[in-house]
Amino acid sequence: MIALARFQVSGYVRSLRVLQPLIVAFLFITMILLQKPASAKLAAGTLGDVAAFMFPVWAWASRALLDTQPDEQRSLSATAAGARTTPAFAGLIAAYTVNLALGAIVLAVPTLYAGSANVSGKAIIAGLALNALVAAAATMLGAWTSRAILPDPGISLLALLGGAAAILLLSLGPLGWLAIPMVEWLKAGHDGPTALVDALPALAAHIAIWTALVATAYILTRRTRP
Amino acid sequence: MQLTEVAFRYHRKSPWVLRDVSFTLPAGVTEVTGRNGAGKSTLLRLLAGLRSPTRGTITGRPARVGYAPERFPVDQPFTVSAYLKHMAAIRGTAEASIATWADRLRFDHLLNVKLPDLSKGSAQKVGLAQALMADPTLLILDEPFAGLDAQTRDELPALITDLADAGTTVVVSDHQRVIEAVPGITRVRIEEATLAQAITASDNAVMEGVLEVVVSVEDMEAVEAKLRAEGYEVRRPQ
Repeated sequence: MIALARFQVSGYVRSLRVLQPLIVAFLFITMILLQKPASAKLAAGTLGDVAAFMFPVWAWASRALLDTQPDEQRSLSATAAGARTTPAFAGLIAAYTVNLALGAIVLAVPTLYAGSANVSGKAIIAGLALNALVAAAATMLGAWTSRAILPDPGISLLALLGGAAAILLLSLGPLGWLAIPMVEWLKAGHDGPTALVDALPALAAHIAIWTALVATAYILTRRTRP
Repeated sequence: MQLTEVAFRYHRKSPWVLRDVSFTLPAGVTEVTGRNGAGKSTLLRLLAGLRSPTRGTITGRPARVGYAPERFPVDQPFTVSAYLKHMAAIRGTAEASIATWADRLRFDHLLNVKLPDLSKGSAQKVGLAQALMADPTLLILDEPFAGLDAQTRDELPALITDLADAGTTVVVSDHQRVIEAVPGITRVRIEEATLAQAITASDNAVMEGVLEVVVSVEDMEAVEAKLRAEGYEVRRPQ
């Protein structure tokens, strides 16, 4: 499984598709994140903002990574891997690893600023944990729009953009429990470091359950479509 | 490996590619024949486990499956060597097998070439190597002879029968009609979405026909000797 994940990451990096989210990340860093927040409250809020901004970028990167293998190579990888669920798990591990690396690059500056703005270590860890969880959720949205599930590139792109927009809109209304709690974490972040720490357990549980359900459905669907 | 009432179609409203296929895959080499679009590749993909039957069951698939597709996907950012190393790692096979198969299939000089730069025949060899290097117990080859150079094309049937003799079940589709000369193979034909006919090697004796060849009297001895040398039974009219 790890060998197949490494193969997919290697293909994604060597094909230079990795440059697409990297360019977006560097623009985000240079245009917004390099501006030093004036207070601890703003610095904690930035950690939540990064998670929200990066959600569609992570989903896009996940979809691009999973689509790097040509269709026939997916078949060869599946026969080589043996077990039917291995390619699905390996793909998710590969996409999540890349997304964590992207997150680390984007979060480096906000983490340093949060430290210098006297945001508590607990709040910084809460912000980073939130980002790691959101990256997993975004990885799943990207996986559901990958070519193995949605072969038509137009429909797949529409599903990616529509899915990200739907999650944002759903999280605003009474059906928020259906989506990931984007509005809640943005609010908690901007309410200050203490509010972010207090809100993390509930946010984490919500995102983790959402991600687990979506991941299970994905693996069950993906195993029949090598 | 047993197929029981297997039916397959790609989409709910699309026509059946295969219907009511019940078949026990025999040991040794099996050739799948049929016209273009008959469903040969689909059957091979079902056997390899790359597709699940829409109806029916496939049981008894061996654990180690080697699958070489009709067109090897060259659009990948790896050299031949890097690609095969990754495939060896995924299969948990020693990297030494890469050199062995590169040598046997005569592409050892291409190991540092990028996959997109390979010719069709060379790409075909890489596809064969990744299928063969895991020492598979079920080997599925979809048109393996297409694009191969004459020497490899001539050597591949012997390699396939060697593997079959060593216990590998081999299933081949072959439009080039290279494998059909191999003795002792089972032949199945896909016709109208089902395995219409299964001619086994033992049936071939019953399928013999008589062909009259008219030659001048002075050439008779030479032609007779030539045909006998090629393995044909030659009878003179009484």
